[in-house]
This record gives sequence, structure tokens and C-alpha cells, in this order.
Amino acid sequence: MADNKKHDGHMESLMNQLAESVLGLSDEAVLAETNETGTDPEQEAERTRLVLRHAAKAFDNVNNRLLDLDHAVNSNDWRRGRSGYHNTCLNCGSSVFITATGGMRGQALDGQCPESDRYTTRRREASC
Amino acid sequence: MAHLLPYLEPPSTPLPPPLTSPRSINASPKSALLVENDEHLLNFFRRSLTDEGYAVRTAADSEEALRLYHDCAPFNVVLIDYYVPQKNGSGIDCLVPQTHGIGLARAIREINLSQGIIIAALDYQTAQEVTRPRELMHIPLLIDISNFQLRGLLEKIEVDRMLEMLTTAELLKLQRFADFRVRGLGRAADGRTGKDLLGEAVVRTLTGAEDTQKGRHWNKNVDFVQHLAGAIRSISNCWKRHCKEEVYLVSELVIHDVEGQEYSPLDNLASEQVAADQCLIEKDEESRVLATFKDDSDATHVLQGLLNGLKKHEIMLRYGLGEKQYAAVVKRIRVKLMGLKSGGTRGEKHGR
Repeated sequence: MADNKKHDGHMESLMNQLAESVLGLSDEAVLAETNETGTDPEQEAERTRLVLRHAAKAFDNVNNRLLDLDHAVNSNDWRRGRSGYHNTCLNCGSSVFITATGGMRGQALDGQCPESDRYTTRRREASC
Repeated sequence: MAHLLPYLEPPSTPLPPPLTSPRSINASPKSALLVENDEHLLNFFRRSLTDEGYAVRTAADSEEALRLYHDCAPFNVVLIDYYVPQKNGSGIDCLVPQTHGIGLARAIREINLSQGIIIAALDYQTAQEVTRPRELMHIPLLIDISNFQLRGLLEKIEVDRMLEMLTTAELLKLQRFADFRVRGLGRAADGRTGKDLLGEAVVRTLTGAEDTQKGRHWNKNVDFVQHLAGAIRSISNCWKRHCKEEVYLVSELVIHDVEGQEYSPLDNLASEQVAADQCLIEKDEESRVLATFKDDSDATHVLQGLLNGLKKHEIMLRYGLGEKQYAAVVKRIRVKLMGLKSGGTRGEKHGR
């Protein structure tokens, strides 16, 4: 049993150190290494960019949906939970979740905000 | 609603072509063009943008805005009021809604397709009510003047811009970094890949969410690649922690015996004991990695050193490796392990 405990995390430590070593590489070195693995660097980089774009788009989709339904969430109030990222509508208190893979769910997405004017400041108020 | 779409008419004198070498408005790292003819709103937005670190140029109508855009673009963001007139001053029919914001957004987009634009449509209750042509549907709308909505949109535009600016080498580094982090997680990866880790790093950046319950968006003083790497570290640690917590949740199952005495079915296990199957998987993985390099003694030494928790200089000292030699060995290890992953012999099995 003691051996088990001693053994814990060695592979993690090894892989994490290899990960850190990648960050210290020059641009030329990382391109050369990618070539050596038999992968086209440009193609792989674009695949990675697509993943990043997709995640950003998923966040857009959630916000657009909330906007369509007149819910107002504070962009600084997102909290990480087990199943993703959680926020609540400032007006009605209903919940919204973005999953780590970009999915969305929650009561706030089910319908129009019933108390949409509580915290929403409109032009005429701002102009006074 | 057709009257809400009088697109920007072409100016009487043709505008000069966009400058090939744009003159930035100043040395400020972030710049904004604010197009607003309502004085109160102008002051409000200018203050908000300045507070967020933007150097702000202002225009009161769409013609002036377009001229400024030609002279000073690109801007980090262009914030346009939906109800901006085409031309300021006398001769404007105050009874007719001046909705040239949409036309201006379209004109700017024709000049620079990737220009970050926000349209302030504060007279509307929902985004659905705001009439826009299809090609502008992706432009974010500011419906609520509260600072948090504007801040969120600005953050999104900045992150989008940075994602597009990532170079091939930076993208590859991030991908490799994420792949190695996931591989180190073992079973805790739970079938997730480096790409899942990268995607969540972007979501976390945009939500600004942290486990500490204190929101933290991208600190613009930190290099964006370093920021994403930090998010990846944090998320992978989080996955690991959750995996460990799940073990504890099982151990917390409480059973009551006939005398009402509480006990757990796992009471006889040491509290800090690593799950045996997890340990076996890890040992198996270690053996597999070492076997891959059985004909490379330097690589085997470095791997054994790293597996035993030695630091770089300790490994170099113990095995008599110079700096260049050590770097070359680590490179061989990375390339081979990544090559194995590309070949599909790893990864899928991992963490299932």
C-alpha cells in the first residue's frame, strides 16, 4: 500500500514537465518537432484554432440566447461547478450553465425573463 | 420596421482607400472608436471605455465616424449607437428615427471584416427586436447600459482578436501543452482530450470563472499564450481534484447496522490510499513509456529521473548530461510520445 502512495503522481509529474518544456521552445523548434511527428504543422494549428473558435462561439451562443430572452447576467459572476460554468439572471434569478464542451442548459434558457426591467438600465434612464 | 434600415448612403465625395499602414491613434495598447450623438451617453460610454483601458476617439455621426475609421483604423473595438444620424447638425428631421448605426457597421465591416464592433441598441427590450441584416447578425448588441454587459462584450472581442492572432507555432505549443497535461492525468482525464482542455480554457477565460469563487478574466498584462497555459494548468488540476473527490464520496457512504452504529464499507482502507487500479494503470503507463525508449539510454535516464521527481539540473548532474544534450533528449522524448499519440496507439485508451 505504501508503494501505491509513493507511486502516485509520477506519470503526472513527468507529463507536466514535458508540457512545460514545450512552452519554452522556440517557434522554429516546435514547427520542426511537429514535422518530425509526421504531422502538417499548418493543418494541425488550424484544427486547434477551430477548437478555440468553437469554444468562443459556444459562449456567444449562450449570451445571445440570454439576450434574446431579456435575461441579464453579470459577466463577472460566472462560477465553476462540476458540470460547467454557472450564472444567474440578475432580474429573475433563474440559472444558466455553459458546459465545458460548449453546451448550454438551465432554467434561464427556457423562456423570457419575467422581471426583465428590474436591473436593466435603458437609454432614457442613462440619458437623464 | 423597414424604415429602420435606411443604410448609409454613399458619401458625396469618395472616401480614400483604407491605409495600408494604419496610423494607430496613439501609443495606447487598446483603442476604441465611439460613435454616439447623445451627449450623456457619449460621456457614459467614454468613461466606461476609458476605465477599461481604451484610448477613445469619438464621432457624432456616421460620416464623421467613417472618416475617422479610414484615418485611424484599426481599432480594438468600434462602439456604435443604433440611433446615430448619418450627418450631424441642422437639416435633420428630428421626427424621423436616425438609424444609421447599422449602415455604419456594415460599411466598417466592408473595410475590415474582422473589426470588433458593438452596436448599442438601448431602446430595445430584447436582441430579437433589433432589426439587422443577416450579415450583421453576429455583431454583439448592447441592450443594457449596465457596465457589466459592456465589459463582457469588450472581453469577448479582445479574446476573439487574440485567438485569431495566435500564430501556427503558438497554436501548436498550446495543443502539445494540453495533450501532455491530459496524458498526465491518467484516469482522471475521464476520456477527455487535449482539445477538450483547450476548449474549456477558452470558456473559462470568457466566463472569468475560478474555483476560488472570484472571477478572473484575462489580465491583459499577461501574454495570451501564457494566460491560456495557466488556464489549462488550473483546469487539469481541477479535473484531477474532482476525480480524487469522487473516490472520497464513495468512501463517505455511511451504513447503519442493527444497533444504529454508523460505519463505512471502506473503513478498513487507509484514508490516503491511492486506488489500486489507478496505481496499476499508472505503473502500466510508466512501463510502456520506458519500453518505448529501451534502446535510448540517455532518454531512459532522463525519464527515470523525471519519474523519480528529480529536477533538470539533478538529472544532468547524475547522468553527466550537458545542457544541449539534455534538451536533445527531452526533444526525442516529446517527439516520440507525440508521434505515438498521432499514430493512435495512445489517447483513446487513456482514461477510459
